[in-house]
Amino acid sequence: MRLAGFGILVSLVATAVVRADDRTGVAPRPVSVVTEMIEHAETGDEIHVPAGVYEGNLVIRKSVVLDGSEGAVFDGLGKGTVIEVLAEGVTIRACAIRASGDDVTGEPAGIRVVAADATIESNTIEDTLFGIDLKQAPDAVIRGNTIAGKDLDPGRRGDGIRLWWSHGSTVECNTVRASRDMVFWYSENLRIVRNTVSDSRYGLHFMYSHDTVLEENDLRANSVGIYLMYSNRITLKGNRLTNNRGASGYGIGLKDCDDIAITGNALLANRVGVYIDNSPSSVDSTGLFESNMIAFNEIGLLATPNTHDNVFTRNAFVENEDPAATHGRGRLVSNTFAREGVGNYWSDYAGFDLDGDGVGDVVYEPKSLFGAMLANEPNLRLFVHSPAQQAIEFTARALPELRPESTLIDPSPLAEPPTIELTLAHGSGSGGWRMALLATGLLSTAIGCVVVVGVERGLPEPKTGERA
Amino acid sequence: MSAITSSRADTIPSAPAAPPLVRGITRFARREFRDALASKWFLLYTLAFTVLAVGVSVLSLSGVGSHGFAGFGRTAAGLLNLIMLVVPLMALTAGAGSIAGERERGTLLYLLAQPVSRTQVLLGKYLGLAAALVCSLCVGFGVSAGVLAWRTGGVGIGAYAMLVGFTAMLALAMLSLGMLISVISRRTTVATGLALFAWLALVFVSDLGLMASSVLLKLRVQEIFGLAAANPLQSFKMAVIVNMNASLDVLGPVGAYASNTLGAGLPWVLASSLVAWTLVPLALAVVLFARRGSV
Amino acid sequence: MIHAAGVTKRFGRVSAVSDVSFGLDPGASMALWGSNGAGKTTLIRCLLGVMRCKGRASIGGVDVRRRGRHARALVGYVPQELAFHDDARLGSAMTFFAKLRGISRDRAAESLGLVGLSGHERKRVRDLSGGMKQRLALAVALLSDPPLIILDEPTSNLDAAGRGEVVETLRRLREGGKTLLFASHRPDEVISLAGRVLVMERGRIVRNTTPAELWPTEKPVQVVRLYLEMASEADAADALRDAGHAVHLNGHGLCVAVPRDRKAEPIGVLARQNIEVRDIEVLEDVQIPGGDR
Repeated sequence: MRLAGFGILVSLVATAVVRADDRTGVAPRPVSVVTEMIEHAETGDEIHVPAGVYEGNLVIRKSVVLDGSEGAVFDGLGKGTVIEVLAEGVTIRACAIRASGDDVTGEPAGIRVVAADATIESNTIEDTLFGIDLKQAPDAVIRGNTIAGKDLDPGRRGDGIRLWWSHGSTVECNTVRASRDMVFWYSENLRIVRNTVSDSRYGLHFMYSHDTVLEENDLRANSVGIYLMYSNRITLKGNRLTNNRGASGYGIGLKDCDDIAITGNALLANRVGVYIDNSPSSVDSTGLFESNMIAFNEIGLLATPNTHDNVFTRNAFVENEDPAATHGRGRLVSNTFAREGVGNYWSDYAGFDLDGDGVGDVVYEPKSLFGAMLANEPNLRLFVHSPAQQAIEFTARALPELRPESTLIDPSPLAEPPTIELTLAHGSGSGGWRMALLATGLLSTAIGCVVVVGVERGLPEPKTGERA
Repeated sequence: MSAITSSRADTIPSAPAAPPLVRGITRFARREFRDALASKWFLLYTLAFTVLAVGVSVLSLSGVGSHGFAGFGRTAAGLLNLIMLVVPLMALTAGAGSIAGERERGTLLYLLAQPVSRTQVLLGKYLGLAAALVCSLCVGFGVSAGVLAWRTGGVGIGAYAMLVGFTAMLALAMLSLGMLISVISRRTTVATGLALFAWLALVFVSDLGLMASSVLLKLRVQEIFGLAAANPLQSFKMAVIVNMNASLDVLGPVGAYASNTLGAGLPWVLASSLVAWTLVPLALAVVLFARRGSV
Repeated sequence: MIHAAGVTKRFGRVSAVSDVSFGLDPGASMALWGSNGAGKTTLIRCLLGVMRCKGRASIGGVDVRRRGRHARALVGYVPQELAFHDDARLGSAMTFFAKLRGISRDRAAESLGLVGLSGHERKRVRDLSGGMKQRLALAVALLSDPPLIILDEPTSNLDAAGRGEVVETLRRLREGGKTLLFASHRPDEVISLAGRVLVMERGRIVRNTTPAELWPTEKPVQVVRLYLEMASEADAADALRDAGHAVHLNGHGLCVAVPRDRKAEPIGVLARQNIEVRDIEVLEDVQIPGGDR
């Protein structure tokens, strides 16, 4: 027992020493040390890289497992790609990888894989231009990595994770921050699950990548949450898109995509909740939007006028400044806003449901004069949130001839918001006590003001002698 | 009665001195504050503002509460509209009634016959009313914050505190303008009328006019921004939004222009517009009040 | 105590006060005598520095325009009728003025006691009688024991009893060494309180004299108030002055001071001029203090 305790103590001390080594930069070794280990290993061997900093660019040409869980740090010293995988079936696990080059022409990355069946998991990659770059590396698994891009302005950053012609790969539970995109080119049959991308350009970006499932990803504070381009048969389910409000600022953007199914997602506080540009683009294809929560966005749904054949049902459009708008002149009437008599919930719906069947008795036709003005004069957006805007809407309500044509018609609007089960765990709102503190502070300021400024001792009771 | 003169002459032979400048101001401020607290308009405004603020908070949060999203941005947007309507009205009418009211009741003459200067009276009244307004806002925002804390997480507490701060600045600016109106008006009805006119002008007319001219005259974004920032209400709105979003992109091309060119200086530019709207009318009121020939 | 030189105040084209110059020594007492609109109130406001005017005015050597705050510290001012927030309670109003002048609350309570208002602290100003309001104003004016008291028709809204009380208080203040300047259109008050009288007409000082000269008689004087048609008041005043009477037009009829045994004489004068007298009222006896004349 005592012996065991002693052993633990020694290993703790040793770890501490190693960490100190790492931090102080004492005795980093060239990465050729690791190259030699790999050369001496058999195919399929598991190499536990001892703790320490390994400087330089590592190239793996043998199918091995590289495990850095003892504290291995790969430092590219600001040049080239830190680890390049040329062999099939390589696993890179629990390594810390940092400082790739930043010259965009060579596209330096933290890890680049150009062979099939790679597994990249639980690595921490920081200060690299590209994070994990898969080129023609099908059937890869990228799981649980944490990636932070270089501190450059967004236009000069590389992609956090990029797949290029890498079919059948799985990307799950990764966290990417401050990169350009997590982008998928010409890659099919992917599983993109539970990733978190924040402060980047496009959270998840699809180019010509078909037949993929995106589930329960969390995309916040990017310019665009999920942007699908020229990609067909994609399912988005249970994703959460919040605060994506960059220059384009879409929660979900679709460009020329056929047969997209978007169900059960939450799109909150984006500049635009859903942006549709000419999707679906082929004859006989459709787009389905079902049971999404689209709330607090400046524009709930923005679509180009040529957009057609999308079906919206059971979505909740809640408190969007403008629930739906056309990008340019025109209306969205070539799309369907109800399926089998079930439409969507619109929080600005002013109708009624007398027969109590849960469906409003009059159609929903949003007509915002100010919204129509914005379409022509974008500069006027400066005046949103102001009483003048309310005045304009009020005038339009009073004078029907001023009312613009409605952007869309929902024949069966829901009277109550549908229950939308979101699978993602959300912020619990643990800051409640601080708000309560603020409330208390404000109220006591008011009371304090009254007590300190307002209370005055009156005159003392006069002595009886003076009363006469 | 017979004791008056003898006792007086014995105890204080020397001539009394005028009270110091600051004490005069604070006395008037405290009296004004107390009068405001006791008055009906103050209670009414406080009550109305609180009810509306809480109402907006609750309504903004309903419908998505089950998804745990703290809709502060939306609450703030609703509150913004409410504040821009109610707070200037409160402050302008309170300021407009102050000097003109005393003048009409004849009490101003009696106050000015005391050993105080007109500047003391004016600044005292300003500070007292300012304290009363801030107090009223604290009640409204406080109760509303309590509701937010209860219904959601306290996300955006810093932004909320800044919202309170900017609102107080807006109230002070509008109070200054109200006092200026009060100084130049002979009667309370005229002062109130002018205050309502100023309110309409600032809240609706200037915005609508700027909208129309930006469309008709094809104003450039920098011109639109400059003209809008000259309006204290728009400055206030932009300041709150910058503070919430760290950028004015929400306000379209004009907002984006402002964010890009002014960057981190933008909140300061907007705040200084509010400060200017506080100081300039107040200084004008002090000067005009002091130069006034009659009571 | 007061020095005025060329004090002029215009409202538009109308001169309310024009080129008024006079001096008032410490301890002296002076009345401003004149009809309504003669400029008494405006002159008082100019002297207090509440109104801006041309010319120079100083109180106790302090220029009222440049250092009005300090000049006013030397003055206790009693208006025609106290105008203070009607909702305020008497006690809190008193406390406010006491604190404004940096005077202790004990002293304020004492001052209130001295004018007989102790125990009324909870009353609202609105609920006070005219006499109580004037006593409150007096209490406020006396708070800081100023050397000069300026009163603007302090008794005009009071009944006989209230008047007597105020006049009595002022007489004692004068005996105690206070300087008094007051406007009045009651000869009895002027005679009993003032050492000198400034007679004002249309904003000008027409005479700077003594009550004895204004109302010259060895015998006790009585004031007769004559009620005439408005149109004939000016002619009547001229006729009476020609006949050697002291006349005062105050808007409430024509006041003439006459020896008590010749009360009907003014009526005779007017009768000769064919001016009809509608009614007459004999005001109470005036006690003329011997030493003042």
